[in-house]
Parts: sequence; C-alpha cells; structure tokens
Amino acid sequence: MVSPIYIIVIALGIAFSLGFFGKSKLNFAGILVLLGLLGMSFISGQWLFAFLNDTAVNTLIFTAGFQPPYSISLQMGLNEAVLTSMVNIAGLLGFVYLFRELSEKGIHLLMVYLVFVMSMNVSLMTRDLFNLFVFLEIETIALAGLILLINRKEAFQAGMKYLIASGIISGFLLIGIIMAYQSGGSLNIDDLIRANSSIGKISSIAGFLILVAFILELKPFPANGWGIDVYTAAHPGIGSLVSAAVATTGLYLLYKVLPIVGPQFNDYLVAIGAISFIGSNLMGTRQDNPNRLLGYSSVGQVGLLTLILGLAPSLGNQTLPIVFSILVSHFAAKAGLFWISGIIQSNHIKDWSGLRSSPTLMLLFGAFLLALLGFPPFPSFYGKWELLLTMGGNQQYTIVLIVLLGSFIEAIYLMKWLGYVIKLERVEIPRENLTLHKQMPIWIMGIVLFVMGFLMNRLNNYGASIDYLPLVFIFLLFVLDFLPVAFKNTLSIGGLLFYFIHLWDMVTDDLIRQIFLVIFLIGGILTFLAGYAQKGKRPGFYPTALLMYFGLAGIITAQGMFDFFYNWELMTVGSYFLIIRGKRSMPHAYSYMLFSIGGAYLLLAGFALAAASGAGEGLDALQAISILPEWVYGLLAVGFMSKTASLGLHIWLPGAHGEAESDVSPMVSAILLKAGVFGLVVLFLSIGMYNPSAERLLYVLGWVGALTTLMGNMSAAFQEDAKRLLAYSSVAQLGYILFAFTMMTQMAWLAGFTYTLNHFLFKAILFLIIGAIVVKLGTHNMYQMGGMIKKMPFSFIAVLVSIIVIGGIPPLSGFAGKWLFYNAILEKGWYFQGALIFFSGIVAFLYLFKLIYSVFLGQLKDNHRHIKEISAWVLIPSYLLIIGIMIFSAFPKEVLLPISEAIAPYFGNDALVWEGTKAISHLGYWDGTTIAIVVGTAFMLILAWLIALSAKAQKVEQFNIVFAAERPFRPETTHVSYNIYAGFHKAVGFLVTPVVTSFWNRMAEWTLDLAGWGRRIYSGSIQNYTIHVFFYIVVFYLLSMGGY
Amino acid sequence: MDYSLSRFLYTLLGLFIVMNWGMLMSSTMRRIIARVSGRIGIPWYQPWIDLIKLYSLRSQITHGTMFYLGPVFRLMGGVGLFLFMPMIYGSAYFMNYSFSGDLILILYFQFFGMLGMALGAGEGGQPYSAIGISRGLSQFTTIEVPMTLAVISLAIQYDTLSITEIVKAQQGSIANWTLFTNPFATIAAMLSLLGAFGHSPFNLVKAPNEIPIGPPTEYHGTFLGVLRTNGAILHVTEAALFMNLFFGGATSWLELILKTFFIYFWSVFVGVVFPRFRIEQSVRWFLKWPTLIGIISILIWM
Amino acid sequence: MVQVILIIGLMLMLLGVYGFMQSKNLLKIVIAFTLFNTGINIIMVSVGYLADAKAPILDKLPDLNEIPNMVDPVPQAMVLTAIVIGLGVTALMLSYVLKLHQEKRSLDINNFKDLKW
Repeated sequence: MVSPIYIIVIALGIAFSLGFFGKSKLNFAGILVLLGLLGMSFISGQWLFAFLNDTAVNTLIFTAGFQPPYSISLQMGLNEAVLTSMVNIAGLLGFVYLFRELSEKGIHLLMVYLVFVMSMNVSLMTRDLFNLFVFLEIETIALAGLILLINRKEAFQAGMKYLIASGIISGFLLIGIIMAYQSGGSLNIDDLIRANSSIGKISSIAGFLILVAFILELKPFPANGWGIDVYTAAHPGIGSLVSAAVATTGLYLLYKVLPIVGPQFNDYLVAIGAISFIGSNLMGTRQDNPNRLLGYSSVGQVGLLTLILGLAPSLGNQTLPIVFSILVSHFAAKAGLFWISGIIQSNHIKDWSGLRSSPTLMLLFGAFLLALLGFPPFPSFYGKWELLLTMGGNQQYTIVLIVLLGSFIEAIYLMKWLGYVIKLERVEIPRENLTLHKQMPIWIMGIVLFVMGFLMNRLNNYGASIDYLPLVFIFLLFVLDFLPVAFKNTLSIGGLLFYFIHLWDMVTDDLIRQIFLVIFLIGGILTFLAGYAQKGKRPGFYPTALLMYFGLAGIITAQGMFDFFYNWELMTVGSYFLIIRGKRSMPHAYSYMLFSIGGAYLLLAGFALAAASGAGEGLDALQAISILPEWVYGLLAVGFMSKTASLGLHIWLPGAHGEAESDVSPMVSAILLKAGVFGLVVLFLSIGMYNPSAERLLYVLGWVGALTTLMGNMSAAFQEDAKRLLAYSSVAQLGYILFAFTMMTQMAWLAGFTYTLNHFLFKAILFLIIGAIVVKLGTHNMYQMGGMIKKMPFSFIAVLVSIIVIGGIPPLSGFAGKWLFYNAILEKGWYFQGALIFFSGIVAFLYLFKLIYSVFLGQLKDNHRHIKEISAWVLIPSYLLIIGIMIFSAFPKEVLLPISEAIAPYFGNDALVWEGTKAISHLGYWDGTTIAIVVGTAFMLILAWLIALSAKAQKVEQFNIVFAAERPFRPETTHVSYNIYAGFHKAVGFLVTPVVTSFWNRMAEWTLDLAGWGRRIYSGSIQNYTIHVFFYIVVFYLLSMGGY
Repeated sequence: MDYSLSRFLYTLLGLFIVMNWGMLMSSTMRRIIARVSGRIGIPWYQPWIDLIKLYSLRSQITHGTMFYLGPVFRLMGGVGLFLFMPMIYGSAYFMNYSFSGDLILILYFQFFGMLGMALGAGEGGQPYSAIGISRGLSQFTTIEVPMTLAVISLAIQYDTLSITEIVKAQQGSIANWTLFTNPFATIAAMLSLLGAFGHSPFNLVKAPNEIPIGPPTEYHGTFLGVLRTNGAILHVTEAALFMNLFFGGATSWLELILKTFFIYFWSVFVGVVFPRFRIEQSVRWFLKWPTLIGIISILIWM
Repeated sequence: MVQVILIIGLMLMLLGVYGFMQSKNLLKIVIAFTLFNTGINIIMVSVGYLADAKAPILDKLPDLNEIPNMVDPVPQAMVLTAIVIGLGVTALMLSYVLKLHQEKRSLDINNFKDLKW
C-alpha cells in the first residue's frame, strides 16, 4: 500500500515543479495538477478501501526516522482515511470544476490550490500539535490566495477580513500550544492526551485556548462575520471547498484535540453547537444571496455536528456514525450547491429558476436541499433519526428540541428557495457555463449522496425494512420522462397495481390496513386514470406522484417507527412536488411543506420521547409508553393533525388543494389526507380504549375536531372559488373524522371509518370533476360559471350524488355516517361537541348548494355556450367511485360488519347488532337497504305520477322566466351566486375571522424580524468582527472556567 | 321488514287522510289569519279548488330535467317523512315504514326534499328562487340548533332514539308527556318549530310581497300542484313529529288531528303577532334564547 | 527576568490588539497585527527560557545531568517557524491592502463594508 506520506510528496513535488512551466504550457501544468490530485485521491481512497475490507490497521508514519516526540508523526486510521478521501475528492472535483479559471490565472494559483488541498490532508493526519498549527496557517494563507481567484472588491475585502481574523485566532492557538508544551512536555497529541488523562498535567488555560481556537476555526455563530463573508465573496468553486473540505477538516481537528482538554468541555460544545445551529439558520431566513445563504447553512450544519461531538458521552460509539452520516450529506450537498451557484452566477436566489432548463441539475438541486434537511433516502436522515431516538431514550429532551427547532428554521429558507426555483419565471442561466467539466462534479456529488444513503441504509439496523424497489421504479420513470403522458400513465398505473398486489399479502389479516391500502393505491390508480385526459409530457409529474403513492403504501406496511417515518417523509416530499405544480401554488406549497415538516418533526419528537420508555422501536411500542405518555401521544397526534389540517394547522390546505392541478387536487385531498388519518388510527389504537394518560388529550382533540368541522364548513360557505370551497370542505370532513376517532368507542370508530371511506369516494369525484370544469371554463370563480347542467349532464349527476353523500341525506351512505355519529355521541356523552358537529353538518348545506347551483344551475354564460362535457377520462374514475358509493349505500352491512369485527379487539363488540340488513344500536335502529328500497319505490311512483300529469310540458329557452314582466338580457345579471350568503355572514361571519392565519403570519413576521435584527451584528466591519471573536473567547472563558 | 300489500294500502290510506287534513288545516289557519287582520278569508274548501285547478292546467313549461325533478324530490321528501313516521301509536298499520329508521332518519330525511327542490328551482334560472333558497338555507342552519339540542336531551332522557319508544314512554298520563317531564327541551323544540313552519317572523324565505314566492317562483300548473300536495302532507307530518316527541303521540286519528292542529296553531299564533325578521336577525335569534334553553335542557340531564 | 520578558510580550500583544481595534488605516492595522504576532513570539521564547542556562548548541553528545541546565530548544524552533509564517501572512495582508487601495483609492477601513448581513 502506498504510504500516505506520498500525498505530501506528490503535492509538494508537483507544486515546486510547476515553477518550470511558462505561460505557454498552462494546460499541461493543469493536467499535471489534475494527475497529482488523482494520485492523492488514489492514495487516500486505497487506504479507505483497505479499512473497509478490514485489511488495514491503524498506522503511524514517523517522519525523519525518529519516534515522537522527536519527530512529527502522521496517523492513518479509518477516520483519517475517510476524511482525507473526502477532502481529496472534493479537491479533485473542485479542480475539475475550476480548471479553466485556475489555468487562466497562471501557475501560481495552481500551486496554491495543490498546497491548499495538501495542507488539509496533513492537518487531518498529523499527530503533532505544532505541525497542526503550521498546516492550519498554510491552509489559511492558501485559501486567502485562492480568494483572489475572483477579481472583485468584495473578494478582496473578504480575504482581508479572513486573514485578520484567522491571524488572531491562530495567535491564541499558538499561545495555547506553547503553554500545553510547557505543562505537558511534548507536542505530540497522543503524549498530551496521556499527560492530561493520567495526572491532569495540561494546564487548563492551555487546553482552553487550544479548544477555543479550533472552535473559532469552525466559524461559530455569532463570531463568524469574516467567515460568512468568505462564502459570499469567494468564487463558488472555492466556497464549495471551504464548506465541504475545510469545514470537514476543522471538525475533525476539533475532535482530535478534544481529549487534550478533557471531557469537562462537552456540555459547552453542545451549547456552542446549539447556538450556532439555531442562530445561523435563523440569520439565513432573511438571506437572498445564494452563496451567503449557503454560508449560513454551512455554519448551521457545522454547529449541529459540533453539538453531536459534544454529546459523545451519551451517544457512545454511535457518535462517529451519526456525525459521518450528517457530515457526508453536508459535504456532498454543499459542494454541489456551491458548484451550481457557480454555474448560475447570480446574487439572488430568485434567479435560480433557470435550473429548470436542466432536469438533471434540477433533480440534484432538490436532492441537495432535501439532504441538508435530513430527508430520506439521504444519509443525514439516518443520522438524525439515530441521534434523536438516542437522545429521547436518554431523556435528553432539550437536545431533541434544539435539533428539531434548528432543522425547522433551516427548512424555512431552504424550502422557500426550492419553491422559487420550481415556480418563478425562468431566468436563463449562461449557457456557456453548462459545460461538462462544470456539471460532472455536481453529478458525482449527487451520486455520492444517493450511494451513501443506500450504504447508510444497509448499515442501519432497520435498513432491511426499507423497500428500494419503488425508488428504482421512480428513477426509471424519471429517466423515461421524455415520453408522452399516455405511456407514462399506463406505466404508473401498472406500477401501482403491481405494488398493490405485492403488498396485499402483507396485510391480509389486517382489515384496517387493507382499507387504507385500497384508498391509497386503488385510489391512486383511479386518479391516474384521469391523467389520460392530459396532453403533452407533464415533465416531472409521474416520479413525484409515485413517490407520494409509494410513500403512502410504505406507511401502511411499516412495522417500526423507523420505516413508518421514512415513508412518511417520502410521501411528504412527493406530495410537495405534486402540489407545487399548480400555476399559483408556490406560496401554498411552501406553507404546506413548512407545516408538513413541522408536523414530521413533532412525530420525530414523539418517537424520540417514546424511545425513553424502552419498549423498542416497533410501532407496537407505542402501546407501552411509561414515561411522559401524554407528551408522546400529544406530539404524535399533533404531528398527524398537521396532515389532516385540523384547526390551527389548517391554513395551508385551502391554497394547496385549491391551486393544485386538476387531477392533483383529488390525489392530495381524497387520498393524501388519509395518511394523517391512518397515523391517528394507528396512534389511537396504540393508546387503547381506557388509557387514563390520554383521556385529557383525547377530550381536547375531540373539541378540536368539532371546531375544525364548524370552521371548515362555514369558510367553505363563504368561498367564491370552487376548488377552495372543496378544500375547506376537506378541512371540515377531516374534522369529523378526528372527532369520531377521539371518542374511542366502537360506534364512534365505525362512524370514523364511514366518514373516511365516504370522504375518499366523494372528494375524489368532486375534485376530479370540478377540477376538470375549472380547467375547461378557465376560471375558479363559481359566479362566472352557471348552467353547466345542460352541457355536462354526467358531471352534474356525479356531483349531485357526492353532495347527497356529504349532506348525509338518506338513502345514500352519508346518512350511515350521521346515524352512527348520533349514536356514538349519545353513548359517549359528548353532547355539546356533538351538537356543534350537527350544526356544522347543516351549515354544509350552504356550500353544497352554492357549489352545485352556481356551477351547474342558474344561467348559462354567453362565453360558455360552446363548452362540451368534460373528458371521459375524468368521468370514468368518477363513475367507478359512484359505483362504490352505491354499493356502500345499499349494502352498508357488508362494509360495517367486517370493520366492527376488526376493531372489536380494541373496543369490544357491543355497538351494533345486525338483524338481516337492519342495524340495531343501543339507542335506535337503521335499515339502509330497506330505506333505499322504500325511497326508491316511492320516488319512482311519484315521478310516474308527475310524468302522467305533465307529459306535455314544453321545454323553454334560457331567459323564458317570470321576471317581473322583464326579459333578462344578460345571464350575469340574473345568476345569483356572488356572496349569496351575505345575511348569514352578517350574523355569524365573525366566527370565521381568520385568527389562525393572522397568528401564523405574525409568527412568521416575528421570526423574520428577529433574524433581521440579529443579523445586524454582521456590520461588515472587520474591527467589529474581531471584537466578536474576543467577546466569544471572554464569554466562553467566563462561563466555562471563570466559575460563572 | 314488512313489504306486504296490505301495509302498502294502509299507508296509502294514511297518506290520503293526512293530505286532506293538511289542506283543511291550512285553509282553517288562513281563515284565522284573515280574521285577525279583519278580513273574512277563503272558504274552507279553497285548497281543493286550487289543487284541481293546478292539476288540470293545460299549458306547462319546463326548464330542464332537474327543474322537472325538483317537485318530485320535494314531494318525496314529504311522503318519505310520512313513511318513516309512526303516526298512530299502537296501530299495527299506521306505523307506516318506521321500522326502517329512527328519529335520526326523520331529521335527515327532511333535507331530501329541500335539496331536490332547491336544485330544481335553481335550474329554473329565476333569481328570486336562488335568493329564497339562500335565505332558507341560512335560516335553516340555526333553526336546527335548538332542535338538535332538544333531540339530544330527549335521547338522554328516554335512552332511545326510536320515536315509537319515546311515544310509549309518554303513555299513561298527561303528566308523562315530555312537555312536563322535560319542559326545557320542549320549549327549545317549539321555538325551533316556529322557524321550521316558516310563518312570520321567520317567513323571509318565501317573503310574500318581497320576492314573490321564493324558491317555487318558476313553478306552476302540475308542478305547483305537486308542491302544494307536499305542503299539506309535510305540515301534518312535521306537527306529528312534535306531537310524538313532546305531546304524548296519538293513539287515534282524532287525537292526531287535534294535537297537530294546536301544534300548527302555535306557529300561526306567533306569526300573526310578530313582524318579519331579516335573515341575519333570525339567524342570531335562534342562536340566542332557543339555543340557551336547549343547552339547559341537556345540562339538567347530565 | 523571565517574567519581565513575559510581561513585555503580553504588553506588545495587547498593544497590537488595541492597535487594530482602534486604527482606521489599513496599513496601521497590518502593523498592529505584526505587533500582536511579535508579542506572541516573545511570550513563546520566554516559556522555554531558563535563567543562567546554556544555549542548546551542541557539538558533542551532552551529559545527562547537563540537560536540565540547557534552554529548551523546541520553543525557539517554534518561534522561528511562527516568524516565517507571520511573515507570509503579513506579506499577503499587504498585497491585499494594495488591492483594496487600487479599488477605492483609500486606506480607510470604513470604506470597505460592502459585505454585510
């Protein structure tokens, strides 16, 4: 094996020999450097390979033939092999990326670049403290040289600031080193560690100075203005190295010197990391310069890693795997993002929309952002999961809170950015930058990210439970994205069908899971059918839709918290990309994503707290929560409710569903919302019927459900936008469902399932049809529609059926829900919540009438006279769903009886007794089949009677009405629809004052204001920045050593 | 599950009685109203004359299928209520088809006719219809609040939702009537009834003089005849519901006629005394005292 | 004696710190920075210094009992290295100052706050 000393030999040798090349042979010089970097990468890579195959052992290399302390020694262990490989790969790819820029500047920068990469290698490997200092200085000088790559005043200023600040920091480091030498008698790190651990010989001030210097090298918030400026002003190619390689090195150096100062600083590291993670991300929220934003994000990520290093005592041998998983995500993502920034060359994140012209870069951009946020399937997901569950298990809840809060703040700006890129008007990126050598490094980093994610998965205890098949299929569809819609649609339907059959075996003995699997996958197939009506290619639609559906399916088959959460996150990502496809969806998808991420983090917190009870990480562990059960259940419930859009967490829904594409709305409304319902079902079943620790929680949630219903229905009644009306109706329906499940009786759960099924059926129909009509008529506003019954009779019938179901009017299946509800409420004794529920149920008629009347009845508008029925591809799934409604309505027993039996083990089996088709409860009875027969017969008789009486009724033209002896001349003046419930609004409209929206808006404002106020510390003056550094040292000293 | 022909024929007979009693009751009430305002009023047989006239009109127009189906839905609503309502307690046949559902079915079947009518009128394209419907729906939401509370109170009191069981529990003595055993629920429901019957002050839906006759504006001839038929059936059936729930039910047709007359008279009595509310006023009114009384009616059973 | 050197070193260092906190002129800041560095170097030398000891210059292998009476050579070697590094940094700083001056024709540090927030 090639000794790592050759890394230095190669670098220095080539750097010196470059002096022989004149300007004419710059390209040759460049290739030589490239070969050098390749060689360096090869050496470290070969060591890494050997370590991974267990064929290498930790090796010390002694220079100059002496043993330490008389000489400098280099160490090559697994850690060093991993990190030097990372640094060298970053260096190599960075060089490929910067090849032209560096060569144009001449051989000097080539030399500096080589020395820069080498200095990081040496400082990673060296075991000598002073040598470490020297190579840190070399790294500083080299970096200051590389900053000059870009000829701009900002770069000069940033470089100057960087030099001054790191000069001061290294001054303190030097003092620390000499004092450590004085007290420890050696410069060898291992000797110093030994000296410290055996007799505590290292003077505490020496240790402190060394530690604080290495911490400051990591640019901790808030003493990091100079560092942020480097990110901002340097060439992004350099920025990527600073973020990926320098930060990686810095972290390892901190890890390396930590034993010298001893474990008493661990808590301070945690605090420092936490401040940096939260503070820097908070500052990022106001940032619109991409490089600076990435800088803040880097500081935040490094803060998180510092925090984890500080937690080493409680994480034990988990520490390094966790650090690595987050570090490698950060490494690949930041490098990639900075490189993309170099291609785009803009000072504003809004200009990144040009990325859309390159699907690959777009995909990678999304992957990088999601990797930073710790989404699956990226490595950081595993690290964060492990970290939080361990912390929860140790009952270190503050850490859980800090990590989740910081991650959420990071999501605020990263998701905003992603939204801009997907949605804003395209700003073309300079085509000449889209060269192979600029893109290839980005691709490789993307591959690294996915491959590392896969490896992490295989190393993980629960990795086996993750099915990679769907991801492969999604990738296939991404590759085939250039094909026309019909083909991809068929392929997707086939995929879902196959997966449905594939998964069915796993849930054969679990009816509840079967129901949801049918809703998710068969529902998915039905909504895909409507996709045949679409023209063109719909780029990006199918991979994201499938991501959502496969995530949903994964939630159902999940056995443990881990795979549940994994699939939950996949589903969230997929649905986000689906929702943002709508024309005006950007802000709504953004708020959807923030609520989803917030909700997901609450779930994570809930799982972490659940781990404290020590019942394992299976989903059944939720049944045995002994520590803080109310918190566990509360966090999980609120997490799920962010998806079901319960009152307080609902503000994203109307926009997200209302503005989504016409066939996406049914996907996200009829199907996706049920993910939250499924979560609640699993949670509540785990809680069990008589769980005293959840009683209060369930009671509160019941009220939330009831109020959600009222708010949803009332808001829907006051909408003019058809799709928003349906969206608010979803909010309300989910309120019913939440309310039903919180009652925790068999009857209530039957009601809950009836509502769940009904909502799936009718909301899919309504959104499919109304969505198609909205597209066809080109307006969302109902008052601009009207008279469509003549043009679209099939749509009308479908909508009519749905409306009868929502209203709970006998004989259709909606009534089953109402009847079960009455019984359940009376049994449970929740009378006032119940009264509220029934009041809301009647309020629903307001919007139901408004919807069907304004769209289908009333006056046909002149500009719609040529409109034809909507596409058959929309009607087919709708009518298939109507068949479902009819079966459920006529034979409710066939559905309700199995459900009763499935939930009987949890709630007992005394809710309903069946006598033939008649359901008898403790209080009353109901015979759905007989009702259907009686009503059907009577209806036919009456109809026949009327036909007999008025067979000769003559059909008249549109305006032939009794209108005060006038003939209306315009349909608009006669179509009463706008603000139709003005009187009702005047009486009770105050109930739907958007207080929740104002609340969240104010929270957002305050957060941004805080960030705006906080970032004023970055005044731009180097003198201020040095004061920050001094203050940091002084405060840290006072807190850690001064006894304060 | 008795689908026998005899039951069917008895039900038809009951329907016939109810319809005729409904017409007679309405002409009587109109005479009472007329006397209060110093007029003589219509002859008692006027509704029959109207009905015959309407059914025999020769020229009829329709605005479309839904318009045509509107009255069918509406009449089905009234007939359905009748079908699912036990009319005469203790009679084997005039229990109609109440074995297929309980009080909840009755409450929700009310919407069947309302919705169908609203849609039919909607297709007519007449703005007055739409205005009337929007007012009707707005008002109806809050009319149902005290009613719902009263029903919940009754269900707690009798521990059943079966109307027959509720009537059964009230037999024996007048003191067993819900009116006396649960006065708050009765008051709440009777206030709600004022809205349901649509007399002043809650008659803004049809609002004579203001928006001619509300939702049915476009309907005429046979269609209007069907609607009138329904009106007659519906009034008696709804009054019978209140009778069953609060006033001991009826064991004979005579008792039913007397009780429904007085229940209906209550709304007429209030109607001639009070002027009309605007829609937001009536919405607010129902959410105040009637709702409060309804809440009290539940609280005393908790 | 050692203490005196140490104190001088500390004074110089603090002077340097004061200098670049207070000066507005970029050149003065660079000079203050070198003062700071020099102070640190002096502190380092003082650490290895032993009063009345021999210089660590050897022409033959020393007696074991002579070693404690020698000045520790390691800090001196370190100082040498540090001086070299300081030189490099100072030179680089000066070239940066030159660049900045070319850009704005000014040496006032307050003119160079383009990057902030």
